[in-house]
Amino acid sequence: MIKLENVTKIYKGEVLALQNASCEVQRGEFVFLVGPSGSGKSTFMRLLNKEEDADRGRVYVAGKDIGVLPGYKVPFLRRNIGCVFQDFKLLPNKTVVQNVAFALEVIGHPRSVIKSKVPAILELVGLSRKMHNYPDELSGGEQQRVSIARAFVNRPLILLADEPTGNLDPNTSLGIMTLLDRINRTGTTVVMATHDRGIVDKMRRRVVELDKGQIVRDQSRGVYE
Amino acid sequence: MNLRLDYVVRETTSNFRRNVTLTLATVITVTISLTLLGAALLFRDAVDNATVRWKDGVEFIVFMEPDITAELEADIRGQLQDSREVLEFTYIDKDEAYAEVQELLGDSPELVDVITAERLPASFRVKPTDTLPERVDRLAEVFRAQPGVSRVVTASETIRAIEDLSSGLSQRVIIIAIVLLVAAAVLIWNTIRMALFSRRQDIEVMKLVGATNWFIRVPFMVEGLIQGLVGGLVAMPLIWLTNNYLSIINDDVSLELLRGFAVDPSRVWSLGFQMVGLGALVGTLGSGIAVTRFLDR
Repeated sequence: MIKLENVTKIYKGEVLALQNASCEVQRGEFVFLVGPSGSGKSTFMRLLNKEEDADRGRVYVAGKDIGVLPGYKVPFLRRNIGCVFQDFKLLPNKTVVQNVAFALEVIGHPRSVIKSKVPAILELVGLSRKMHNYPDELSGGEQQRVSIARAFVNRPLILLADEPTGNLDPNTSLGIMTLLDRINRTGTTVVMATHDRGIVDKMRRRVVELDKGQIVRDQSRGVYE
Repeated sequence: MNLRLDYVVRETTSNFRRNVTLTLATVITVTISLTLLGAALLFRDAVDNATVRWKDGVEFIVFMEPDITAELEADIRGQLQDSREVLEFTYIDKDEAYAEVQELLGDSPELVDVITAERLPASFRVKPTDTLPERVDRLAEVFRAQPGVSRVVTASETIRAIEDLSSGLSQRVIIIAIVLLVAAAVLIWNTIRMALFSRRQDIEVMKLVGATNWFIRVPFMVEGLIQGLVGGLVAMPLIWLTNNYLSIINDDVSLELLRGFAVDPSRVWSLGFQMVGLGALVGTLGSGIAVTRFLDR
């Protein structure tokens, strides 16, 4: 599903973010990316939805070399990749249901599809009763559930989560992980960058550790350290 | 792309509401620049129409009696040919004169109906070798005395002055109008940039979930298009008013030489539509460039 081949990424000609990294993720896998800040986790993710281009090496998503993907096709790549962030990136002037519907609307889904899909996904993430609230009326965990609903409503092949529990307390984090696990069980490949030792150790999934831009460990059913 | 009309309408109107004053300033600038440009072009047309007989160095015109005999006409022609003071001359027969009148009075068919080719005099348009006013007058005097000549009209200095003034004036007005039009494009560009900035979170999310650039671009381009279009539509009646003002000059000035100082209504219409089109083009381009630059960052 995802393959990095000897990928090097250098920002502004000097900051070495990834160095000769190779990694392959199968369909339906759940992978933790761990490592200190600045080790290249975010760059790893940004390469996958072509927010950045590799300076050397190749990046394959769903069997396609996205390094040669023309710019006008990038939006269609991104429709197959859901993204969740530490800071949620919800639109503050839209309600929960509008936030999720917006994601479908701007990729051209008809209203009838939106009307059926959005309540279903909000049911899945457990927010049916807060559909018409605004983000600032929700707790952090609830906001992250909305953001996951938005990322998953289009049923992407891949879900990228960049420290999704970074702003949440341990209990809330567990709830979010349960949700991500459920999504993974539907066949969606999940790549999650995290600093959360407790979660990694508890879930016992594949762990890829980065340090100074190099993959220093790749372990199935791994732990944080 | 599956761009939905209600989406575009909703986004565009919400952008307008966000930036009412800036939008207003933009529309006014578009209006002023297009009105000036249109008026300058109209004025140029009007002067062209009024001075069509005096093009290319023609300094005086010898009008003959409508019923002049061929003999007398040949006499005058011979004299023009022999005169060393005449550089060249053109013969305008009755039909040509009629065609010219038709063109000048195209907007008043009732007048054209009254005039027939038979009643119009044939004439010689004369370019003298020396264009000094006194010399021209003296030469004109010679032909005025000829039998068969009804009258001789010289290009007075007034006509020359009007021609010079108007060409300089309309040139300057056109330059000002173009500068203003560029200012309007920059204003539209800036308005759209503000709109983009206030919606940068939305755009970030749109790009994240895979909205195409065109999908993001269209509502903003429609906003620019509407600003240009509205500016042009307001300019249209103002250009009409300008034409009415020209017509008033036309009626007021009893000077026979200035007859025809007006523009055909169809010309005013087409000019108006051209200005609306220009406004729409400037608006669409200005906003399109702004969004493209924003999205490419």
